[in-house]
Amino acid sequence: MNRYQFEDLISEYIENELSFSKRKEFESYLEGNPDALEMVNAIRSNIKKAGALPKVKTSSDFNDRLLDRIRSKSDERTDGSPIKGLIFGFSPIHASIMMGLVIAFVFINIQLFSPAFDSQDTNLLYTTNEKLTDPDLRSLSKTNNAQNANLANLTGDSTYADSVYQSKKDYSKKIQFVND
Amino acid sequence: MKQNLSISLDMSSDKQHSPFVYTDEQLIARFQSGDEGAYIELVNRYKDRLTNFVYQFLGDVEQAEDIVQDTMLKLYEKKHYYREIAKFSTWIYTIARNLANTELRKRKRRKTTYLSRMSREEREYEIPAVQPNLDENLQNEFIMERVHQAIKKLPEHFKTVIILRDLEELSYDEISSIVGVPLGTIKSRINRARLQLQAELQDLK
Repeated sequence: MNRYQFEDLISEYIENELSFSKRKEFESYLEGNPDALEMVNAIRSNIKKAGALPKVKTSSDFNDRLLDRIRSKSDERTDGSPIKGLIFGFSPIHASIMMGLVIAFVFINIQLFSPAFDSQDTNLLYTTNEKLTDPDLRSLSKTNNAQNANLANLTGDSTYADSVYQSKKDYSKKIQFVND
Repeated sequence: MKQNLSISLDMSSDKQHSPFVYTDEQLIARFQSGDEGAYIELVNRYKDRLTNFVYQFLGDVEQAEDIVQDTMLKLYEKKHYYREIAKFSTWIYTIARNLANTELRKRKRRKTTYLSRMSREEREYEIPAVQPNLDENLQNEFIMERVHQAIKKLPEHFKTVIILRDLEELSYDEISSIVGVPLGTIKSRINRARLQLQAELQDLK
Protein backbone atom coordinates (compact mmCIF):
# COMPACT_ATOMS: atom_id res chain seq x y z
CA MET A 1 0.00 0.00 0.00
CA ASN A 2 1.34 3.42 -0.89
CA ARG A 3 0.59 6.83 0.65
CA TYR A 4 -2.21 7.69 -1.83
CA GLN A 5 -3.99 4.38 -1.29
CA PHE A 6 -3.64 4.86 2.47
CA GLU A 7 -5.18 8.35 2.35
CA ASP A 8 -8.06 7.16 0.19
CA LEU A 9 -9.00 4.50 2.73
CA ILE A 10 -8.80 6.52 5.97
CA SER A 11 -12.53 7.27 6.27
CA GLU A 12 -13.54 3.73 5.40
CA TYR A 13 -11.10 2.44 8.02
CA ILE A 14 -12.43 4.79 10.71
CA GLU A 15 -16.02 3.82 9.89
CA ASN A 16 -15.26 0.09 9.81
CA GLU A 17 -16.24 -0.30 6.19
CA LEU A 18 -13.11 -2.03 4.96
CA SER A 19 -13.08 -5.71 4.13
CA PHE A 20 -11.06 -7.95 6.44
CA SER A 21 -8.12 -8.28 4.05
CA LYS A 22 -8.03 -4.52 3.30
CA ARG A 23 -8.19 -3.75 6.98
CA LYS A 24 -5.23 -6.02 7.67
CA GLU A 25 -3.30 -4.35 4.88
CA PHE A 26 -4.21 -0.89 6.21
CA GLU A 27 -3.15 -1.76 9.76
CA SER A 28 0.16 -3.20 8.65
CA TYR A 29 0.79 0.11 6.82
CA LEU A 30 0.00 2.00 10.05
CA GLU A 31 2.45 -0.17 11.98
CA GLY A 32 5.22 0.74 9.58
CA ASN A 33 4.32 4.46 9.45
CA PRO A 34 3.84 6.18 12.82
CA ASP A 35 2.99 9.51 11.14
CA ALA A 36 0.16 7.74 9.30
CA LEU A 37 -1.18 6.41 12.60
CA GLU A 38 -0.98 9.92 14.04
CA MET A 39 -2.92 11.23 11.07
CA VAL A 40 -5.68 8.64 11.48
CA ASN A 41 -5.98 9.49 15.18
CA ALA A 42 -6.13 13.21 14.43
CA ILE A 43 -8.90 12.69 11.87
CA ARG A 44 -10.82 10.51 14.31
CA SER A 45 -10.48 13.24 16.93
CA ASN A 46 -11.66 15.93 14.49
CA ILE A 47 -14.76 13.90 13.65
CA LYS A 48 -15.55 13.75 17.36
CA LYS A 49 -14.99 17.48 17.76
CA ALA A 50 -17.20 18.26 14.77
CA GLY A 51 -19.93 16.04 16.22
CA ALA A 52 -19.59 17.82 19.57
CA LEU A 53 -20.00 21.31 18.14
CA PRO A 54 -22.72 23.14 20.07
CA LYS A 55 -26.10 22.59 18.44
CA VAL A 56 -28.11 25.62 17.51
CA LYS A 57 -31.76 25.51 18.49
CA THR A 58 -34.73 27.41 17.19
CA SER A 59 -36.23 30.15 19.32
CA SER A 60 -39.30 29.47 21.43
CA ASP A 61 -41.59 31.50 19.17
CA PHE A 62 -40.55 29.64 16.01
CA ASN A 63 -43.84 27.73 15.75
CA ASP A 64 -45.96 30.81 16.42
CA ARG A 65 -44.18 32.79 13.74
CA LEU A 66 -44.54 29.91 11.31
CA LEU A 67 -48.24 29.62 12.07
CA ASP A 68 -48.67 33.36 11.50
CA ARG A 69 -46.98 33.10 8.13
CA ILE A 70 -49.14 30.15 7.10
CA ARG A 71 -52.26 32.03 8.20
CA SER A 72 -51.34 35.19 6.35
CA LYS A 73 -50.58 33.18 3.20
CA SER A 74 -53.91 31.35 3.35
CA ASP A 75 -55.73 34.63 4.12
CA GLU A 76 -54.14 36.16 1.02
CA ARG A 77 -55.63 33.39 -1.06
CA THR A 78 -59.09 33.40 0.49
CA ASP A 79 -59.30 37.23 0.22
CA GLY A 80 -58.78 36.96 -3.52
CA SER A 81 -56.28 39.78 -3.28
CA PRO A 82 -53.53 39.47 -5.86
CA ILE A 83 -50.48 37.54 -4.73
CA LYS A 84 -47.23 39.44 -5.02
CA GLY A 85 -45.30 38.69 -8.21
CA LEU A 86 -48.25 37.19 -10.11
CA ILE A 87 -49.93 38.64 -13.21
CA PHE A 88 -53.65 37.76 -13.22
CA GLY A 89 -52.81 34.75 -11.09
CA PHE A 90 -50.06 33.53 -13.42
CA SER A 91 -46.34 33.63 -12.88
CA PRO A 92 -44.55 36.03 -15.30
CA ILE A 93 -43.30 33.15 -17.50
CA HIS A 94 -46.72 31.52 -17.75
CA ALA A 95 -48.37 34.87 -18.34
CA SER A 96 -46.05 35.66 -21.26
CA ILE A 97 -46.58 32.20 -22.80
CA MET A 98 -50.34 32.66 -22.51
CA MET A 99 -50.13 36.11 -24.06
CA GLY A 100 -48.09 34.73 -26.97
CA LEU A 101 -50.65 32.00 -27.58
CA VAL A 102 -53.54 34.47 -27.54
CA ILE A 103 -51.77 36.76 -30.03
CA ALA A 104 -50.98 33.79 -32.31
CA PHE A 105 -54.62 32.64 -32.14
CA VAL A 106 -55.96 36.09 -33.04
CA PHE A 107 -53.46 36.46 -35.91
CA ILE A 108 -54.35 33.06 -37.39
CA ASN A 109 -58.07 33.86 -37.15
CA ILE A 110 -57.59 37.17 -38.96
CA GLN A 111 -55.67 35.39 -41.72
CA LEU A 112 -58.29 32.68 -42.13
CA PHE A 113 -61.52 34.68 -41.95
CA SER A 114 -60.69 38.16 -43.26
CA PRO A 115 -62.69 39.26 -46.45
CA ALA A 116 -59.54 40.09 -48.40
CA PHE A 117 -58.32 36.58 -48.01
CA ASP A 118 -61.78 35.25 -49.08
CA SER A 119 -62.03 37.14 -52.48
CA GLN A 120 -58.47 36.35 -53.41
CA ASP A 121 -59.16 32.73 -52.75
CA THR A 122 -62.39 32.79 -54.87
CA ASN A 123 -60.66 34.39 -57.90
CA LEU A 124 -57.98 31.84 -57.80
CA LEU A 125 -60.53 29.08 -57.65
CA TYR A 126 -62.63 30.27 -60.63
CA THR A 127 -59.84 31.16 -63.00
CA THR A 128 -58.41 27.72 -62.69
CA ASN A 129 -61.80 26.11 -63.19
CA GLU A 130 -62.61 25.63 -66.90
CA LYS A 131 -66.24 24.55 -66.60
CA LEU A 132 -67.95 27.81 -65.79
CA THR A 133 -71.70 27.65 -65.74
CA ASP A 134 -72.85 30.90 -64.22
CA PRO A 135 -73.22 33.67 -66.92
CA ASP A 136 -71.77 36.30 -64.60
CA LEU A 137 -68.77 34.14 -64.05
CA ARG A 138 -68.43 33.62 -67.83
CA SER A 139 -68.27 37.36 -68.36
CA LEU A 140 -65.75 37.53 -65.60
CA SER A 141 -63.78 34.87 -67.40
CA LYS A 142 -63.93 36.89 -70.68
CA THR A 143 -62.57 39.93 -68.91
CA ASN A 144 -59.80 37.81 -67.65
CA ASN A 145 -59.13 36.56 -71.20
CA ALA A 146 -58.88 40.16 -72.52
CA GLN A 147 -56.49 40.99 -69.73
CA ASN A 148 -54.47 37.91 -70.61
CA ALA A 149 -54.37 39.04 -74.29
CA ASN A 150 -53.09 42.47 -73.35
CA LEU A 151 -50.51 40.81 -71.25
CA ALA A 152 -49.59 38.55 -74.17
CA ASN A 153 -49.16 41.59 -76.43
CA LEU A 154 -46.93 43.24 -73.99
CA THR A 155 -44.79 40.17 -73.64
CA GLY A 156 -44.76 39.51 -77.43
CA ASP A 157 -46.78 36.31 -77.46
CA SER A 158 -48.64 37.00 -80.77
CA THR A 159 -50.28 33.59 -81.30
CA TYR A 160 -52.32 33.91 -78.15
CA ALA A 161 -53.25 37.55 -78.88
CA ASP A 162 -54.37 36.73 -82.48
CA SER A 163 -56.59 33.90 -81.39
CA VAL A 164 -58.30 36.15 -78.90
CA TYR A 165 -58.84 39.06 -81.34
CA GLN A 166 -60.17 36.87 -84.18
CA SER A 167 -63.14 36.01 -82.07
CA LYS A 168 -64.06 39.72 -81.89
CA LYS A 169 -66.39 41.27 -84.60
CA ASP A 170 -64.80 43.69 -87.11
CA TYR A 171 -66.77 46.99 -87.05
CA SER A 172 -64.25 49.07 -89.06
CA LYS A 173 -66.30 49.00 -92.37
CA LYS A 174 -69.46 50.07 -90.62
CA ILE A 175 -67.92 53.15 -89.18
CA GLN A 176 -68.63 56.23 -91.28
CA PHE A 177 -67.42 59.72 -90.73
CA VAL A 178 -70.07 62.49 -90.81
CA ASN A 179 -68.35 64.45 -93.61
CA ASP A 180 -68.20 61.40 -95.97
CA MET B 1 -58.35 24.64 5.43
CA LYS B 2 -58.88 27.57 7.80
CA GLN B 3 -60.39 25.56 10.64
CA ASN B 4 -57.46 23.14 10.51
CA LEU B 5 -55.09 26.02 11.04
CA SER B 6 -56.57 26.74 14.45
CA ILE B 7 -54.41 23.89 15.78
CA SER B 8 -51.55 25.38 17.72
CA LEU B 9 -48.05 24.37 16.77
CA ASP B 10 -47.18 23.25 20.26
CA MET B 11 -44.08 21.31 21.20
CA SER B 12 -45.77 19.76 24.21
CA SER B 13 -48.25 17.83 22.11
CA ASP B 14 -49.24 14.38 23.41
CA LYS B 15 -48.07 12.80 20.19
CA GLN B 16 -44.51 13.47 21.25
CA HIS B 17 -44.87 11.01 24.09
CA SER B 18 -47.11 8.56 22.29
CA PRO B 19 -45.81 4.97 22.41
CA PHE B 20 -46.68 4.63 18.72
CA VAL B 21 -44.20 6.63 16.71
CA TYR B 22 -44.98 7.35 13.10
CA THR B 23 -42.16 7.35 10.61
CA ASP B 24 -41.53 10.59 8.71
CA GLU B 25 -42.95 9.02 5.57
CA GLN B 26 -46.15 8.01 7.36
CA LEU B 27 -46.47 11.52 8.75
CA ILE B 28 -46.09 13.22 5.38
CA ALA B 29 -48.62 10.78 3.92
CA ARG B 30 -51.07 11.73 6.68
CA PHE B 31 -50.37 15.41 6.09
CA GLN B 32 -50.95 14.97 2.36
CA SER B 33 -54.37 13.56 3.17
CA GLY B 34 -55.23 16.60 5.29
CA ASP B 35 -53.96 15.86 8.80
CA GLU B 36 -52.44 19.14 10.03
CA GLY B 37 -51.28 17.45 13.23
CA ALA B 38 -48.85 15.40 11.17
CA TYR B 39 -47.39 18.64 9.81
CA ILE B 40 -46.85 19.92 13.34
CA GLU B 41 -45.09 16.72 14.27
CA LEU B 42 -42.79 17.02 11.25
CA VAL B 43 -42.01 20.64 12.09
CA ASN B 44 -41.14 19.70 15.65
CA ARG B 45 -38.97 16.82 14.50
CA TYR B 46 -36.93 18.80 12.01
CA LYS B 47 -36.81 22.45 13.05
CA ASP B 48 -33.76 22.16 15.30
CA ARG B 49 -31.85 19.79 13.03
CA LEU B 50 -32.43 21.98 10.01
CA THR B 51 -31.59 25.18 11.87
CA ASN B 52 -28.32 23.64 13.00
CA PHE B 53 -27.61 22.43 9.47
CA VAL B 54 -28.30 25.80 7.85
CA TYR B 55 -26.42 27.63 10.60
CA GLN B 56 -23.22 25.80 9.61
CA PHE B 57 -23.47 27.42 6.18
CA LEU B 58 -24.60 30.88 7.14
CA GLY B 59 -23.05 31.31 10.60
CA ASP B 60 -26.03 33.39 11.69
CA VAL B 61 -28.73 31.87 13.90
CA GLU B 62 -31.47 34.34 13.00
CA GLN B 63 -30.93 33.94 9.30
CA ALA B 64 -30.73 30.18 9.68
CA GLU B 65 -34.07 30.26 11.47
CA ASP B 66 -35.60 32.36 8.70
CA ILE B 67 -34.40 29.85 6.12
CA VAL B 68 -35.92 27.00 8.15
CA GLN B 69 -39.18 28.96 8.37
CA ASP B 70 -39.17 29.23 4.59
CA THR B 71 -38.42 25.51 4.35
CA MET B 72 -41.35 24.64 6.61
CA LEU B 73 -43.61 26.99 4.66
CA LYS B 74 -42.58 25.24 1.46
CA LEU B 75 -43.33 21.91 3.08
CA TYR B 76 -46.80 23.22 3.92
CA GLU B 77 -47.51 24.61 0.47
CA LYS B 78 -45.86 21.93 -1.66
CA LYS B 79 -46.72 18.87 0.38
CA HIS B 80 -48.11 17.08 -2.69
CA TYR B 81 -44.78 17.37 -4.49
CA TYR B 82 -43.30 14.78 -2.15
CA ARG B 83 -43.36 11.25 -3.56
CA GLU B 84 -42.26 8.31 -1.51
CA ILE B 85 -39.38 7.45 -3.79
CA ALA B 86 -36.94 9.14 -1.42
CA LYS B 87 -36.79 9.47 2.33
CA PHE B 88 -38.60 12.47 3.75
CA SER B 89 -35.42 13.63 5.51
CA THR B 90 -33.64 13.73 2.15
CA TRP B 91 -36.40 15.86 0.65
CA ILE B 92 -36.58 18.37 3.49
CA TYR B 93 -32.80 18.69 3.77
CA THR B 94 -32.63 19.29 0.02
CA ILE B 95 -35.16 22.13 0.27
CA ALA B 96 -33.26 23.69 3.18
CA ARG B 97 -29.93 23.31 1.42
CA ASN B 98 -31.23 24.95 -1.77
CA LEU B 99 -32.64 27.88 0.18
CA ALA B 100 -29.37 28.24 2.10
CA ASN B 101 -27.43 28.18 -1.17
CA THR B 102 -29.64 30.92 -2.59
CA GLU B 103 -28.94 33.03 0.50
CA LEU B 104 -25.21 32.34 0.18
CA ARG B 105 -25.23 33.43 -3.46
CA LYS B 106 -26.95 36.67 -2.48
CA ARG B 107 -24.33 37.19 0.20
CA LYS B 108 -21.46 36.56 -2.17
CA ARG B 109 -22.73 39.31 -4.44
CA ARG B 110 -22.89 41.68 -1.48
CA LYS B 111 -19.54 40.50 -0.11
CA THR B 112 -17.71 41.36 -3.33
CA THR B 113 -18.45 45.00 -2.78
CA TYR B 114 -17.62 44.90 0.93
CA LEU B 115 -14.26 43.20 0.29
CA SER B 116 -13.23 45.88 -2.12
CA ARG B 117 -13.77 48.44 0.65
CA MET B 118 -11.74 46.47 3.23
CA SER B 119 -8.15 47.19 4.03
CA ARG B 120 -5.43 44.59 3.41
CA GLU B 121 -5.08 43.91 7.18
CA GLU B 122 -8.77 43.14 7.48
CA ARG B 123 -8.67 40.78 4.52
CA GLU B 124 -5.73 38.84 5.82
CA TYR B 125 -7.19 38.30 9.28
CA GLU B 126 -6.52 34.81 10.62
CA ILE B 127 -7.60 33.01 13.75
CA PRO B 128 -4.63 32.44 16.04
CA ALA B 129 -3.57 28.94 17.12
CA VAL B 130 -4.51 27.48 20.52
CA GLN B 131 -3.58 29.79 23.35
CA PRO B 132 -2.08 27.88 26.29
CA ASN B 133 -2.99 30.36 29.03
CA LEU B 134 -6.76 29.98 28.74
CA ASP B 135 -8.63 27.86 31.31
CA GLU B 136 -10.18 24.55 30.25
CA ASN B 137 -13.69 25.81 29.45
CA LEU B 138 -12.41 28.69 27.44
CA GLN B 139 -9.92 26.38 25.77
CA ASN B 140 -12.74 24.03 24.72
CA GLU B 141 -14.78 26.93 23.47
CA PHE B 142 -11.80 28.12 21.51
CA ILE B 143 -11.19 24.68 20.00
CA MET B 144 -14.83 24.43 18.97
CA GLU B 145 -14.63 27.83 17.35
CA ARG B 146 -11.52 26.72 15.46
CA VAL B 147 -13.30 23.58 14.25
CA HIS B 148 -16.29 25.63 13.24
CA GLN B 149 -14.14 28.10 11.33
CA ALA B 150 -12.18 25.29 9.67
CA ILE B 151 -15.44 23.73 8.44
CA LYS B 152 -16.59 27.14 7.23
CA LYS B 153 -13.36 27.53 5.27
CA LEU B 154 -13.86 24.30 3.32
CA PRO B 155 -14.91 24.52 -0.32
CA GLU B 156 -18.69 24.40 -0.72
CA HIS B 157 -18.86 20.80 -2.03
CA PHE B 158 -16.71 19.55 0.87
CA LYS B 159 -18.49 21.62 3.49
CA THR B 160 -21.94 20.29 2.61
CA VAL B 161 -20.94 16.64 2.86
CA ILE B 162 -18.93 17.07 6.07
CA ILE B 163 -21.83 18.87 7.76
CA LEU B 164 -24.29 16.23 6.66
CA ARG B 165 -22.03 13.36 7.72
CA ASP B 166 -20.13 14.47 10.83
CA LEU B 167 -22.56 16.99 12.28
CA GLU B 168 -25.95 15.75 11.16
CA GLU B 169 -24.86 12.10 11.10
CA LEU B 170 -26.81 11.19 7.98
CA SER B 171 -26.03 8.02 6.06
CA TYR B 172 -23.95 8.07 2.89
CA ASP B 173 -27.06 7.12 0.88
CA GLU B 174 -29.04 10.05 2.26
CA ILE B 175 -26.20 12.45 1.59
CA SER B 176 -25.90 11.11 -1.94
CA SER B 177 -29.60 11.82 -2.55
CA ILE B 178 -29.50 15.29 -0.99
CA VAL B 179 -26.42 16.41 -2.87
CA GLY B 180 -27.42 14.58 -6.05
CA VAL B 181 -24.08 12.92 -6.77
CA PRO B 182 -23.14 9.21 -6.81
CA LEU B 183 -22.35 7.38 -3.60
CA GLY B 184 -18.71 6.81 -4.55
CA THR B 185 -18.19 10.53 -5.13
CA ILE B 186 -19.74 11.29 -1.73
CA LYS B 187 -17.40 8.87 0.02
CA SER B 188 -14.41 10.34 -1.75
CA ARG B 189 -15.50 13.93 -0.97
CA ILE B 190 -16.00 13.15 2.72
CA ASN B 191 -12.57 11.57 2.91
CA ARG B 192 -10.92 14.51 1.14
CA ALA B 193 -12.81 17.00 3.32
CA ARG B 194 -11.59 15.22 6.46
CA LEU B 195 -8.02 15.33 5.20
CA GLN B 196 -8.35 19.03 4.51
CA LEU B 197 -9.81 19.65 7.97
CA GLN B 198 -6.96 17.70 9.50
CA ALA B 199 -4.43 19.84 7.67
CA GLU B 200 -6.21 22.97 8.86
CA LEU B 201 -6.43 21.85 12.49
CA GLN B 202 -3.11 20.01 12.87
CA ASP B 203 -1.92 22.41 15.55
CA LEU B 204 -4.84 21.41 17.78
CA LYS B 205 -4.20 18.60 20.23
